[in-house]
Amino acid sequence: MTKEANATTRLVCKKLGIGLHDMPKANCCGAGLLTDYDYQLYLALNARIFAEAEAMGMDIMTICSTCLMVMSTANRDLLADPKLLEKTNEILATAGLRYNGTIKIKQLLWVLAGDYGLDNLKKKVVKPLNWIKAAPFYGCHSLRPSDALGFDDPERPWSLDAVIEALGGEAVQYKGKTKCCGFQVDLVVAETAEKMTATRLLDGKEKGANAFVTPCPFCHINLDNYQGLAEKRASQKIAMPVFHLSQLVGLSLGLTAEEMGLSRHLVSPEKILK
Amino acid sequence: MKIKFKIRRYNPAEAETAEPYIQAYMLDVPEGMTVLEALLNIVDDQDPTLSFRKSCRSAICGSCAVSINGFSKLACNTQVIPEYKKAGEMLIEPLANHTPLKDLIVDFAPFWRKMEKVAPYLTPEEGAPTMAVTPKDEERVDRSQRCVMCGCCNAECNSMAIDEKYIAPAALAKAWRIVGDVREGNAKKRLERLSEEHGMWDCVRCVHCTQYCPKDVSPLKAIEELRSAAMKEGITDNPGAKHVEAMKDSVERFGRLDEAAMTFKTLGFLRSLGMIPFGLRMEKHGKLPRPHIFAQIEDLDEVKKIYEEAERRAEAEKKEMESRKKG
Repeated sequence: MTKEANATTRLVCKKLGIGLHDMPKANCCGAGLLTDYDYQLYLALNARIFAEAEAMGMDIMTICSTCLMVMSTANRDLLADPKLLEKTNEILATAGLRYNGTIKIKQLLWVLAGDYGLDNLKKKVVKPLNWIKAAPFYGCHSLRPSDALGFDDPERPWSLDAVIEALGGEAVQYKGKTKCCGFQVDLVVAETAEKMTATRLLDGKEKGANAFVTPCPFCHINLDNYQGLAEKRASQKIAMPVFHLSQLVGLSLGLTAEEMGLSRHLVSPEKILK
Repeated sequence: MKIKFKIRRYNPAEAETAEPYIQAYMLDVPEGMTVLEALLNIVDDQDPTLSFRKSCRSAICGSCAVSINGFSKLACNTQVIPEYKKAGEMLIEPLANHTPLKDLIVDFAPFWRKMEKVAPYLTPEEGAPTMAVTPKDEERVDRSQRCVMCGCCNAECNSMAIDEKYIAPAALAKAWRIVGDVREGNAKKRLERLSEEHGMWDCVRCVHCTQYCPKDVSPLKAIEELRSAAMKEGITDNPGAKHVEAMKDSVERFGRLDEAAMTFKTLGFLRSLGMIPFGLRMEKHGKLPRPHIFAQIEDLDEVKKIYEEAERRAEAEKKEMESRKKG
């Protein structure tokens, strides 16, 4: 649903000189649902992803907060318990694979705010985003569980705020920035999901945001794709454009709205774009 | 260090305090002082009317959970100075998702009702042979046993904030303590009940419960265990379990998530039809997912082998447990 997150990340990284290498073998991490199905299967399937990265001699970067959390949690558990790692490797061995426990997992947000650095990012900005008052929506899985993730502060996260400001925008402060969009129960308890999405959007809107930005494509699905359903549930118009992190960076680097796939959004950001 | 404590107060018994308000107290805080010590100090020296729960002062009783700068914590194992330095203020409020009764004291009756709903005691099958509980058996439920019922997890639960009927993490962690116990005789019945509306499938996986549990119970882990146990018992006729099955099938067949099939399999035919108008809107923006037909990754046979081996092991474990239970 959010192919634009993938495409725009590639364009932005190219522009910034960040080298990305595809992982053609990588399977789905399970988004938490495989964890619900069978913990050992979940560990083994994630370890298969890590084994591919190990063979490539690289760490993993994902553009999805849920992938980040699911993989990081598997990695934490495997590294904390040598017996569990061995058991998991016995399963991998039936497919001729092995994971040695050397991989780190990051997301685009961390690569920008950490590895690449805010000062370097600022130097690349050609079109400062002085038109945006963005509500930073971190999404649960960029922040928690912090013992598995470890980059940002789950209570007072700074990385997305800092990136927005480095791009010349304003980061709006609101309570919902560390809270959940409800994505995981979209198809299971739609009422909870839609009410949750509406609550977050209205919270940011009330604090003066003219857009939301998120590093997580699942959050984007709820905040943008399903905003219409959330509006219905809340019985009010919200009309809040929502950007992927990569799109916001791209716009500041001088890439066009078209290149950033903005027409794919259900809530058009056209009105606020400069 | 002089610190201003801003405390949310409320006393419905008096007309002028019947609306919540913030009262400030200045306190000289030495290194190492806990929030609870600070509150006790305020009561002793400044204002004996300030009300809050407390007992053990050592994170065992679970009485003193409050919201500190917006997040649920035990007042007794949270130090003032690091917290103040991080947040730039010291704001103390009653636990969220709970109704305040007076000042920082909240109504715990709904918490206990949720707990009672999961019948938090073992119900062994009558006449079942006695069975040794091995250290490995104990390890399965060990984290759930650490719960001190402070309510931090429920206070942080994003799902409960929307739906107060949701059974919520504290009771679910307790439910796993019972369901995961090898001596329990009604695990299947319990899992069926937990699979009903407002039950374990309503968790949004926001990970707040696990992040803010002061005893490392990890309620989310307990919820995952309960869900797995229900799937293994064949309790799959509900949207939550169907969603998981759809994911399991999709990764096994294609290596990736098949968004179109996920929706269809979770909602079923009729409810999927209801999504058509919305689907058309998505299609206009090129967002309607297409179902997969071919493998989406290289070396999919590896994934299939991993599934086979993991399922073989899960089956063997299940058989071993069944034979142990027979004595």
